[in-house]
Amino acid sequence: MQPDDLAKALAPRLGDRLLGVETFVGTAGRVRFRPEAALDLFRAVRDELGFRHLSMVGGIDWVDHREVFYVAWSDDARQYVILSADLPADSPHIESATPVWESANWHEREAWELLDIGFDHHPDLRHLLMPDGYAFHPLLRSFKLHEPEELEVKQRSV
Amino acid sequence: MTAAPTVVKPGTTPAESYRLTGELPMVDQAAVPFIEIETVRAREFIPAAKEAFSAMIVEQGQSKVIRPTFNWAGRNSLFPLHWGLACCAIEFAAAFSARFDAERFGIVPRSSPRQCDLMIVNGTVTWKVAHKLITLYEQMPEPKWVIAMGNCATGGGPFRTAYSVVPGVDKLVPVDIYIAGCPPRPEAMIDGILKLETLIRERKE
Repeated sequence: MQPDDLAKALAPRLGDRLLGVETFVGTAGRVRFRPEAALDLFRAVRDELGFRHLSMVGGIDWVDHREVFYVAWSDDARQYVILSADLPADSPHIESATPVWESANWHEREAWELLDIGFDHHPDLRHLLMPDGYAFHPLLRSFKLHEPEELEVKQRSV
Repeated sequence: MTAAPTVVKPGTTPAESYRLTGELPMVDQAAVPFIEIETVRAREFIPAAKEAFSAMIVEQGQSKVIRPTFNWAGRNSLFPLHWGLACCAIEFAAAFSARFDAERFGIVPRSSPRQCDLMIVNGTVTWKVAHKLITLYEQMPEPKWVIAMGNCATGGGPFRTAYSVVPGVDKLVPVDIYIAGCPPRPEAMIDGILKLETLIRERKE
């Protein structure tokens, strides 16, 4: 499957919410879409194009905006496809992919806690890698690494 | 009752004597005080032994009997709770295998904190696991000791500034012995345990 095939199949479904399909080495292509088209695009990609397995969900903090991307795998085509959307930096949120791909659950929890990307209607948006109540989103550019000496950990009396 | 004196033939210690003569160090029968052994039932004997032991404590002072006895027993049967969090756990396992055989020091790794008096933290402690570590530490009965094994447990190691790593397990629990290395070899771990035994030997309360 080539980027042109993706564009031909997706354009009727998404219209102007499809921003473009680019070549991406090693994959079928990189689909850029508006965040409001998320669920429509996911369903089309899974049901019509056959990308049944969601391999990963990730994000990038570009400071002026935040990017979220999904990597899906097709067993028939033996190819990946990348779906990426730009979110505003002040309130980055997108519809959760869990109704389409169940495996998005933990990936989105990770993307939320590390990059502060909100996933609407996520069934269980809890911390995954960090303890509950961790107040930071450490993969953001604004996050400063601490020096251990600055940490004030209250020593437990035994 | 005094212990029977050992006849030290040619050498100066029993071991040397055994090496020189090939005979086990024998007890000199003439030096053993004659004790009339009376057959008593156990239920009569135990209170009598208790009474004799408490008399000895009063005589010699509690700190000279009880504490050294407990220290001796404690340091010769350390039961570590192992925290196999990272690659140090491989060295920990190697220390208990045939080549290094740490069990000859009386160390037996246990899997339940309630049976342990030593916690060996071998690996990178993350904030996610920190409260579980404290919980298990508090479940261990007193007296208890902690060994921070490897650079990660000592001070965070290469991840000391990371957002998810506790920079040293001493931020969470009091640590007695730090073992450096990334990871330390089994000899280093055994050396740390022997140093801990020295600590326990000098323990006063």
